[in-house]
Amino acid sequence: MKNKNSFSRGLSRIQLMELDACTQCGECLKFCPVQDVTGNPLISPPEKIRVFREFIRATDGLKARLFGTGEVDRRLLEDFTKAVYECTTCGACGQNCTVGIFTQRLWPMLRAEMVRRGLGPIGIQAEMPGLIDKTGNPYGKPAGERFSPWFPGNVRIAESADIAYYAGCSGSYEAHPMVKGDVLVLDTIGEPFTMLPPEAEVCCGFPLFITGQHDMLEDLIKRLVDAYKARGVKTLICSCPCCVNIMVRDWPIFYGSDLPFKVRHISQVVSEAIQEKRLVLSKGLQEKLIYHDPCYLSRGVGVIEEPRRVLKSIPGVELLEFDRHGVNSRCCGSGGAARKVFHENAIAMGRLTIDEAVAKGADRLVLSCPACYAKVNEAMLGHDKQVRIVDIMELLSDLVERGQS
Amino acid sequence: MDILLILLAYIVYIAFLVRVFIHARIWLTAEEQSVTYRRPLSSINTCGITALDILFFRKLFANDKLLWPGSWFFHLSLFFVLLRHLRFFLQPAPACVAVIQPYGIFAGYTLFIALVLIIAVRLLTWKKRYVSYSNLFILSVLLLLSFSGLLMRNFFRPDLLQAKAFILGILTFRPEAAPSGFLFVFHFLMALLLLPYVPSHIFSAPFVIAEAARREEGIGMMMHEK
Repeated sequence: MKNKNSFSRGLSRIQLMELDACTQCGECLKFCPVQDVTGNPLISPPEKIRVFREFIRATDGLKARLFGTGEVDRRLLEDFTKAVYECTTCGACGQNCTVGIFTQRLWPMLRAEMVRRGLGPIGIQAEMPGLIDKTGNPYGKPAGERFSPWFPGNVRIAESADIAYYAGCSGSYEAHPMVKGDVLVLDTIGEPFTMLPPEAEVCCGFPLFITGQHDMLEDLIKRLVDAYKARGVKTLICSCPCCVNIMVRDWPIFYGSDLPFKVRHISQVVSEAIQEKRLVLSKGLQEKLIYHDPCYLSRGVGVIEEPRRVLKSIPGVELLEFDRHGVNSRCCGSGGAARKVFHENAIAMGRLTIDEAVAKGADRLVLSCPACYAKVNEAMLGHDKQVRIVDIMELLSDLVERGQS
Repeated sequence: MDILLILLAYIVYIAFLVRVFIHARIWLTAEEQSVTYRRPLSSINTCGITALDILFFRKLFANDKLLWPGSWFFHLSLFFVLLRHLRFFLQPAPACVAVIQPYGIFAGYTLFIALVLIIAVRLLTWKKRYVSYSNLFILSVLLLLSFSGLLMRNFFRPDLLQAKAFILGILTFRPEAAPSGFLFVFHFLMALLLLPYVPSHIFSAPFVIAEAARREEGIGMMMHEK
């Protein structure tokens, strides 16, 4: 029978094996963005795994079985909690792990264990369930302000359609040019699309999942899936990598079955529309662009080529690459719901992205994630290096017109 | 002294088995993960990647060209050294164990060189390097084991028949005296010291590597195939 106090209870079999499989080689530190800006090995992936193994030993080891579970040092638990929440959960460590530990999934599950023990989450992350319950979004902003500040007046939303667009909370409240660009481009493609009313388009659950607060997830996800189902949706389009990630990976689990629609990232839809000439690039751009892969889009769900195809289709554009791109991209600092708690780390990481874009000679830094968009823009303030930042659909919306086919 | 060594061997061995049992129990009583996008292990790509990762440490090679030769030759050498040592544990020793003896002897040298390289890389390339003290401890014990083994092979040969009788005596619960000489006792004690610290990744890493290959190969199923 499972020990109710066990540290292993919330982890799957393969995750427990992953904890044991860490060879402590430390290769992952070279890829950890938090290490880049803090240089503190105590919050590194192998150290977190080593400490969590100690916790499991304390509750599941031989001594615990013979003499009962001992108390784990409170200070050690608190230090671990801080370390696991300081992580941006970007998953670069796992991508480069010599044994392939799936850290982008492991860290949130370790966070969930800390939440069960009343130690996590940290700071304002703890307010998210209450805010989502009250307002539908983790920012605590009124539902009435979700779409109205940015939604283009000339775009029509269908009552029901095969296609639906989910704007997401971060885009709607913190990255208006991005979601406005999404809607303008979808409208230009010309296929009717529907959206839920602002009070019904609640949080996708990602900030709760990533911070280990899983209690509300089932309810939120069922509400959203049933609402789209009621509108006859066959394809749900979203531009936020975090939303897309949880929709694809976790919505079916919390919904209890396969989703009644497929989920697509907007860059996939737009790339196809350009290829099929339903969307035409009517203007060019004589610029060098550099594209930053969002961690949860590239490493998370494998959408890497489509944003590049879209950018390369713009006449005159020269597309540059970061040294680490695609599945190996470096986190901009806003991941893991850590950006508002470990603000200085996030700004420093964002500035590394800006510095590299400037060093490569890019005219514009192209992003495709609302969290990246908000934080990298923030990191630019007061920084000695400057580059224009643009969201991929924001950029595209000024250059496209409807095609003939 | 011999009795103490024999008792210690039984205690360490039992502790090792208990440890393996506890780990296995934790794994076996845990739940399977709910949803996965992964290719079957039977697919050629997944199988190939898994084999490359397990046999040739593909990811380590991609990340660290300096550590890779140390790590790869260490594991390969250790495998052959352990195979060579089977002659002390099996009576009669099978023909295949006799065949690999020359390779085992050669592996004894490469094992030592590989360990020195690993420790040097770990300690000398400080920048962005996580130093695991337990890992360094294990490497140091292995280095001492390897060094004492080489000394016995080349300079201070113990009575091999007596050594085999001693080991077989422990395995068959009919204790025999250990061969005289400090080096054999030291080598044996280092082996006993190592056993409780045998990293658990040797049991779990192959499964995790296979799972990672299935997951990486399956990433296209999420957004591109459905």
